[in-house]
Amino acid sequence: MNQRETIELLARSEDQISPGISACVGCNVELTLRTCMQVMGPNTIFAIPPGCMGGVGVVGWDKQSGAKIPVFFPLLDNPASMLAGIKMHYDRIGEDVNVVAFAGDGASVDCGFQALSGAAERGDKIIYICYDNEGYMNTGYQRSGSTTKGAWTSTTPVSKDGRGGKKQNKKDMPMIMAMHDLPYMATMSPAFIPDMVTKLEKAKAVKSGLVYLHVYNPCVTGWGFKSDESIELCRLSVETNYAPLFEVENGKFTLNRSLDNPKPLADFIKRFKKFRHLGDEEIAALQELCDSKAERLKNLASL
Amino acid sequence: MKYVSDYIVPIGPEGLKIVNTGAWRTRYPVMDTEKCVKCGMCFMYCPVRAIIRKEDGSYEITFDYCKGCGICARECRVKAIAMENVKEGDE
Repeated sequence: MNQRETIELLARSEDQISPGISACVGCNVELTLRTCMQVMGPNTIFAIPPGCMGGVGVVGWDKQSGAKIPVFFPLLDNPASMLAGIKMHYDRIGEDVNVVAFAGDGASVDCGFQALSGAAERGDKIIYICYDNEGYMNTGYQRSGSTTKGAWTSTTPVSKDGRGGKKQNKKDMPMIMAMHDLPYMATMSPAFIPDMVTKLEKAKAVKSGLVYLHVYNPCVTGWGFKSDESIELCRLSVETNYAPLFEVENGKFTLNRSLDNPKPLADFIKRFKKFRHLGDEEIAALQELCDSKAERLKNLASL
Repeated sequence: MKYVSDYIVPIGPEGLKIVNTGAWRTRYPVMDTEKCVKCGMCFMYCPVRAIIRKEDGSYEITFDYCKGCGICARECRVKAIAMENVKEGDE
């Protein structure tokens, strides 16, 4: 789908989320949520576990809900298994409904992983969207399994002389889910909306098992950058090969954007407050990791 | 259970939760319609969908929910949108 068609589709379809939700100023997850639910359409039931998009009022509080379609608030650990049950019921009564999870990286990579992995293995026909903002941003920027090595978070503090930060590498969730042999797995970015819409349309058409979609979302408040840079930094994350755009259909890897001639990772890393303490050596190590992952992805796509 | 809302709301008998995010704004975007090339980038990237497309294909900024993030101004290729500060006493 090209840009003109995408704009046409977005202008034509109704926004399924309340016009005023209390996401941070410049939050690109809000953009992701609106785009995803707009493409999914009114024939959708979705669930948001605790996290940013639950916290901003979409799941409802005060006897109200922030979405025009049915929305559930599962626990942090069970969105996939709860939705699997809902989907099974609708299958049984013979209704075709899109059942969608919109979960953060905490609820997908850490706490909810067992439920997600189980649902993927059983082939439950749900669409699982993970917005990866590298931490528990809603509760005060704690580290998660998805946080980049070296990053400052409130549970991996940095001393005055620049020591500290997260000690472990980021979990490569898209690859983990691809290895579940899903009918469809893709990574998306809010800076590439036409690509995102194409993938969501594909996800809607899959009827043979779980679909996993991974969105990489730099967080304005938690990572420390200006609100208007939000989309620019999402684009940079793709252009530096840090969060490459690819899809896996029944084991076949396809690159949606060439991995050749990437921008240096330092251009991306140095824009954030949470990486400010990193020295050249640490950035070089991240660059090396990023390069080896890109190389592996290229090899997989050439199979 | 009786629903007041026009929408199907499974948890929330009183309807759609709408936060007045327009009140957060410290800056606001101003579009120069002369410069605008109607590419739709601002519409596509606005996180709150505050920019709407009109029948004739042009775009208009609405201020009911605009949080003033400045993404539209930054992403505009022809720099047709400028951000201005909200002065004290303004709506």
